[in-house]
Amino acid sequence: MTTIITVTSGKGGVGKTTTSASIASGLALRGFKTAVLDFDVGLRNLDLIMGCERRVVYDFVNVIQGDANLHQALIKDKHADNLFVLPASQTRDKDALTSEGVEKVLKELEHQGFDYVVCDSPAGIEHGAVIALTFADEAIVVTNPEVSSVRDSDRILGIIQSKSRRAIEGREPVKEHLLVTRYDPKRAHEGEMLTYTDIQELLRIPLLGVIPESEVVLQASNQGIPAIHQKGTPVADAYQDAIGRFLGEEHPLRFVEYEKPGLLKRLLGGK
Amino acid sequence: MPRRREPRPAPALELKTTRFAGIQIILNSTEHAALNTHLTTLFAATPDFFGGEAAVFECGRLPADAAPPDWAWLVQELKSRGLNPFAVQNASGELAAAAAQAGLLVLNAAGPAPAPEPAPPTDTAPVPAAAPTRFVDKPLRSGQRVYAAGGDIVVLAAVSPGAEVIADGSIHVYAPLKGRALAGARGDTSARIFTTHLEAELVSIAGVYRTFDAAPDTAVAKKPAQIRLAEASQIVIEPL
Repeated sequence: MTTIITVTSGKGGVGKTTTSASIASGLALRGFKTAVLDFDVGLRNLDLIMGCERRVVYDFVNVIQGDANLHQALIKDKHADNLFVLPASQTRDKDALTSEGVEKVLKELEHQGFDYVVCDSPAGIEHGAVIALTFADEAIVVTNPEVSSVRDSDRILGIIQSKSRRAIEGREPVKEHLLVTRYDPKRAHEGEMLTYTDIQELLRIPLLGVIPESEVVLQASNQGIPAIHQKGTPVADAYQDAIGRFLGEEHPLRFVEYEKPGLLKRLLGGK
Repeated sequence: MPRRREPRPAPALELKTTRFAGIQIILNSTEHAALNTHLTTLFAATPDFFGGEAAVFECGRLPADAAPPDWAWLVQELKSRGLNPFAVQNASGELAAAAAQAGLLVLNAAGPAPAPEPAPPTDTAPVPAAAPTRFVDKPLRSGQRVYAAGGDIVVLAAVSPGAEVIADGSIHVYAPLKGRALAGARGDTSARIFTTHLEAELVSIAGVYRTFDAAPDTAVAKKPAQIRLAEASQIVIEPL
């Protein structure tokens, strides 16, 4: 049984692709056979963040149109054994992703024994984003601690409830998870940002995790190594906790409380 | 000395009226073949669904001139399936006589016939009911809109900013109302809006609207409130 996880947000630039790469890598590191699919046709980024952009030969659209088979297009990840990447096409537009075509690819992945398929959704609420959530079993809604991002997440939750296959067929609804990213406890503490409890209160879906704002994320994506591999950093730990919670484990929230630096730390010039 | 009086010993036998629950076997036909076929299909999946329950044959639906069924056979068939018929009711004439002969009790032979099948609804004099109330159990997210045509709407989950609730009648939101609520959409000035947590972007009754751009009235902000239209076409917001 393959579980299809869609990582979505409505708003752009909140960390969908970073999250897709880290969640998929984390699941694979835990031994699950995982594929991560880039639905952002025309603006492919996932392969860059996964560090496999130079190995792209065939892409998602090629598979849908029958120019290549799935086996040829899936790229094996360098860092995790059970992880495969299906890149998006750079040269087509999102209309190339047909509902039948996507369903066929997902069926084929299930047939090949994948445990998890992570769908990296494009921003917006148009065709590309809708098709990325159509087949979802679970949705991770990535939200930044700012009002416009929360509003867009709310919008995308409404679309999940009305346009996903599960909703249309009247099956058990898509399981929704809230992932707050780019969280700065200091700014939230000082009232410059929404706190994660504010966000959860606004969206009213279960909180999967809070990923702190960190320069590690930018370094990681420039190097093409998903942030979850940056061991010992708060970002990697927070993603690991989120994956644990996704799999039903219990982890207390970390990196969400602001601690005032002590006198000694300030004297020593600590951040 | 005993603290309580000893209860009087119960007599060996007492007579009291009782009404016990049993199964009614309604006969619509007395034809042997039809009964046999239907018995077989009816009990095929659950042969011992009725664990020895008492049963009565109801004959009120049979035509007056119906030939009596083979009562003995019918009783035997039902007993083999865990039902214990012991009487017939609303049977008369030949039907009752044959039943009595087969050892069945004949109950209220002259009693009233069972209620006939409910008559199909006629279209004369329909009750002029308003459109049914529409119920919404799921949160209304930004960009979603629900409209209750001709009636009221009850929303049991949060209405997010950017969501719209519209009704020709009144609107009830038993959760935070953070979006827009438009009651009396077709001009009903008596429509009202109720919420347990008023934080709306806009409310409107019969086209008269109010936005909450300025700091909202602290008496009702985020509190239970009622919104209605006053005489002079003015929106009135009152705490509940």
